Amino acid sequence: MSNWKLINRTFLYDGSLDGFLTIVFNCYSSKMLPQKIYVEKDYISNFLDKIVVIKTDFEKSKRVFQGIEKIIGYDAFYYFYYAFLSNEKEKEMYLLKYLCDGFDSGPKINDRIAISYVFKVFSMQKRTLSECHRLKGLLRFQEVGDNLFYASVHPDNAILEPLGQHFMRRFSRQNFIIHDKIRDLCFLYSNQNYRIVDSTNMTVPTISAEEQKYQELWKLFFHTISIPERKNPRCQMQFMPRKYWKDLVEEP
Amino acid sequence: MDIFEKLQILADSAKYDASCSSSGSNRKNTKTGIGNGHVSGICHSWGADGRCISLLKILLSNACIYDCKYCINRCTNSVHRATFTPREIADLTIHFYQRNYIEGLFLSSAVVKSPDYTMELLIQTISILRNEYEFNGYIHCKTIPGCSKELIDKLGNLVDRLSINIELPSSDSLKLLAPQKKKSGILEPMTYVSRHIKENKLEKSTKKPFFVPAGQTTQLIIGATPESDLKVLKLSESLYQKLSLKRVYYSAYISVNQDKNLPTLDKPPLLRENRLYQADWLLRFYGFKADELLDDSHPNFHSVLDPKCDWAIRHIDKFPIEINTADYFTLLKIPGIGIISAKKIIRARRAFLLDFDALKKLGVVLKRASYFITCKGKYYYPISSFRPNFIETNLIYQERVTFPKSSFEQLSLFSSFSKPDEKLPVFQSLQPTKEDKIKCLTGNL
Repeated sequence: MSNWKLINRTFLYDGSLDGFLTIVFNCYSSKMLPQKIYVEKDYISNFLDKIVVIKTDFEKSKRVFQGIEKIIGYDAFYYFYYAFLSNEKEKEMYLLKYLCDGFDSGPKINDRIAISYVFKVFSMQKRTLSECHRLKGLLRFQEVGDNLFYASVHPDNAILEPLGQHFMRRFSRQNFIIHDKIRDLCFLYSNQNYRIVDSTNMTVPTISAEEQKYQELWKLFFHTISIPERKNPRCQMQFMPRKYWKDLVEEP
Repeated sequence: MDIFEKLQILADSAKYDASCSSSGSNRKNTKTGIGNGHVSGICHSWGADGRCISLLKILLSNACIYDCKYCINRCTNSVHRATFTPREIADLTIHFYQRNYIEGLFLSSAVVKSPDYTMELLIQTISILRNEYEFNGYIHCKTIPGCSKELIDKLGNLVDRLSINIELPSSDSLKLLAPQKKKSGILEPMTYVSRHIKENKLEKSTKKPFFVPAGQTTQLIIGATPESDLKVLKLSESLYQKLSLKRVYYSAYISVNQDKNLPTLDKPPLLRENRLYQADWLLRFYGFKADELLDDSHPNFHSVLDPKCDWAIRHIDKFPIEINTADYFTLLKIPGIGIISAKKIIRARRAFLLDFDALKKLGVVLKRASYFITCKGKYYYPISSFRPNFIETNLIYQERVTFPKSSFEQLSLFSSFSKPDEKLPVFQSLQPTKEDKIKCLTGNL
């Protein structure tokens, strides 16, 4: 990758995984690296940039996807996928370099954590995964209809899909909605199928008296279970930062 | 008595149990069932004491027939008594679980009527959950000391984790504070369960029933009796080795009862508890032995330094360790380097030789480690400073111990007596400014 040409172009894509894999295909086949990569709708135009809009090509993205699994290994796709969900600025350049280098050097790329872009991909992956894991615990469902549950979240990273899949395995019998209020997306699940839809005009349903009772019981349990002699608000705050409190039932 | 009142009383009585982990079990969801296990465990909330809330930790009943001196539910205490019916607990668990408040149930109980009767109640509750509601989430249950083996078998097939609390780390203390409990009544069920788990693992049939897939644990109370840290740690070590326990929990003693045999403590010994947990990790994951960490001349842990630092300073002849050549278990002996860092180092050095900058980049914390390692043969500080007392002083300084504030202070000419709280920037004015330094250099001062 060291003798690749750095071209003075800014690539724009639609923000999807397939769109990004198309960029990877174009760059790897032409042995050229762009200056910057942005998502089309977040891009603020700058008259110095020479813009190229990359159209998502599912054929190309499929080939890259298979290539990652075959050449760099399944682990790499796992790292790449979670790093791609991160909200880090300019994550695309790091990921592009990681994948292109990976196609050249194979699975060994994952040992070279001292290279800045490999390290960055790993740390992005770690941050996304840890937020996802934290929300697996801190998400709270409310029963809003017969066997229909609703939860709202405000995650930093775009983890709606892996989060929803966790709850799919867990609550396969109940229907649920997970609402990402930051990105205005909804994860809808019913009968072993899920969809992610835009939810700009969604109204939050009201809750019943039965639901209210269980929320009160939970609050009571939450306050009773802590030992007053061992009070340690700093420790509590460390695990449960304030940014997650607005979606909780209990008030810590 | 309504369910709110019962929950209040029985959660309040259950809170002194330290264990709350939901890890170790990978139970899958069934087609028509609800819930699954998560092998690393999931914490769902954190209480005001900073402890995680992962399971619905609750007693079935607190109407105990025993009179253990340290326990809040002893029969001679006048506390509110309540008992859940098995169905109430099962319903509460399912409703909390559906709303993702909890990861499962941690069911314990005081001894009602007799150990066997209590066990029957526990089994009844859990079989409602497992068989009727098809609940596949995590269930941790207490074994009642002195119950029969058939009941343990029955319970073991239903739950993910069993535990039985030793509480007092020696049989003398047990005799003194819990006269109705016997050492054999506690250790026999533990040995039985651990043997049964081993047998279950050896069985090759794919259709074998589950038996305590997440293993068994226990809890020790710290500070109620005069045992030293060495004695407690030795006990834990033998529990891990002989009974292959998953965890030993340590619970700092909180004075809830007054008794002539009990110490009166203002605050629970939290620091001691913390040190024991640190040492416990060293036993389980770092290849240390209890005898290495403590000996008869040092029966207790250092109050400022963590057990590994303390050990390293006493064994300074084993250091400095070269990062680029040391094997995994040698890396683990370096203070400040844990399992994650050690694995990262081993992985990264396949591609490059590491130096201090590369270590920092990897995210290895050098705060403590820098005193004990060399990179490519170089020491972080001048090599003359590789002396145990220099390192110890620095490490203690780094811990930023806040010494108790004294009630007196040195008087300053400029401080006013009327406002003792106000701090005047006396120090700052005495420090040379940048201007002073330049003047000093140019000779104008």
